[in-house]
Amino acid sequence: MSAASYTDFSSAIHKHYAGKRTPLEVSIEVTRRCPLECQHCYNNLDMADTEARNRELSKEEYFKLLDDLSEMGVLWLLFTGGEIFARKDFLEIYTHAKRKGFLITLFTNGTVITEKIADYLKEWPPFALEITLYGRTRETYEELTAVPGSYDRCIRGITLLRDRGLPLKLKTVGTTINKHEVLSMKAFVEEELGLDFKTDSLISPRIDCSQSPLAVRLSPEDVVALDMHLPRVAAEHSQNIVREMQAAEPQGDGDTVYSCGGGVKAFAIDPYGHMSICILSHQETYDIRSGSVKEGWDHFLLAVRQRKRKQITKCLNCRIHSVCSMCPANGELENTDAESPVDFLCEVAHLRAMALGFEVPEHGECEFCPGGKHHPEVKESARRIIAKEINVGEWKSPQVLLPILSNASTSASTGCGGCGSHSNQ
Amino acid sequence: MEIAVSNLDCADRAWTVHEKIGPMMEETYIRSSAVVSRLIAGETLVVPVRGKVGDLASIYSFNDVGTTIWEALAKPTSINTLIDLIEREYEVSRERAAQDVENFLQEMRTAELVMAVEVHGSDVSHRTELRETA
Repeated sequence: MSAASYTDFSSAIHKHYAGKRTPLEVSIEVTRRCPLECQHCYNNLDMADTEARNRELSKEEYFKLLDDLSEMGVLWLLFTGGEIFARKDFLEIYTHAKRKGFLITLFTNGTVITEKIADYLKEWPPFALEITLYGRTRETYEELTAVPGSYDRCIRGITLLRDRGLPLKLKTVGTTINKHEVLSMKAFVEEELGLDFKTDSLISPRIDCSQSPLAVRLSPEDVVALDMHLPRVAAEHSQNIVREMQAAEPQGDGDTVYSCGGGVKAFAIDPYGHMSICILSHQETYDIRSGSVKEGWDHFLLAVRQRKRKQITKCLNCRIHSVCSMCPANGELENTDAESPVDFLCEVAHLRAMALGFEVPEHGECEFCPGGKHHPEVKESARRIIAKEINVGEWKSPQVLLPILSNASTSASTGCGGCGSHSNQ
Repeated sequence: MEIAVSNLDCADRAWTVHEKIGPMMEETYIRSSAVVSRLIAGETLVVPVRGKVGDLASIYSFNDVGTTIWEALAKPTSINTLIDLIEREYEVSRERAAQDVENFLQEMRTAELVMAVEVHGSDVSHRTELRETA
């Protein structure tokens, strides 16, 4: 018997299916209810939202869904929320999935992990387990989660899982509230806990189109300054840009709206049985309660995935896609239009490239390129970052927090009312 | 993460295993119920699903011969039966088939992916010390 790395194993499977439309990865939101009320969250609902609970797929419906996904050849499953353990029957659903042989990743905030749950997960280990840490201090963590006592519960959950040797990774999302603790969180996780840590600072509007999370989103300058302060992240961005600029064709030069793996190798299912290209995309969904997940994959998602783009945008010839988070889902969320470039993401991408010393090749009318109205600002930000005038290590706790537009329970009921994607939820 | 890959390849090996053919060939095995197999990308993947089974950080993939044996082990199967199967399916000598089966089972026992069982009429009981499974 010989051993191969997981990367080789995964690559071999993807290579086997290269060019073929095969569902390999599915993200399942089992609930959007959550005991935390994080201001930046894109989908959380109140734990007491009985209307949401009543609409969620039942345990039996999940069993059937998992059987179907197994039949379809899906290998990787992500269970996410909301908070997955907000469902009292989650471990039953999880165990059913384990018995089907999926490689399962769990996303949780860790605050409701008990010894009993940790022991159970040790007996039935997931492939991967990720907890989001919202702050290094109790004050910051709970400023963001808006729930007293949540920090201690999270740390307890982390400890319970780590002590059992489970494949745990920690991550954070940088916001205006916790940005000054990102580096201390990283040190805590890597040096004290001995676990992997990653950070992501890109926050989206809520999937009901409420813009409330944007109140705590970092500025493009802060996002990139943080990137540059993390050597591994900066190096990865740099390598990606070099590779993309050397490629024969721009990455976005296809004729379909979607160019990612959504609808080709992956898809998502929300708590109410709506199937979509990805977890953020909700304008076009298929109700698996009125058909089957296989029918949804074979016909509905195929049609979505093959839909031709209608617009010629500056993204098509752009050469810095690999450091840009623009995608149809983000276009839907920020602009209610899958094809419209998102200014925030475009600015972050241009600033990343410039801070790394790259000149962005001309790619159409772009506000952030030379001659564009925002280019001078981006250029100045890049200069400040390169000159280390923005010292991430000296970021302080915000003295005056930005106004909180609304919390989850309020914003969840508002939405945009205009994109037509919430009427059946 | 390590992915263990079983390499059973009848074509590339020459075996001298006459001494291994004997009473032990009546030993009967079955898959551990603490693992699940999937057919993905044309290969049989065996995924441990419960604790204390082999190395839970590993996923096992089998080649054709391994897959043939694994499929047979869905029910209690004696070593002799497995050898017959490989000899017949792959048209190799009995000695080579025996060596391949024994090697495969040795690896599977080490990884705790199979269990030895005793068969009494229609009853099957685990002969080895078995952990509780599903």
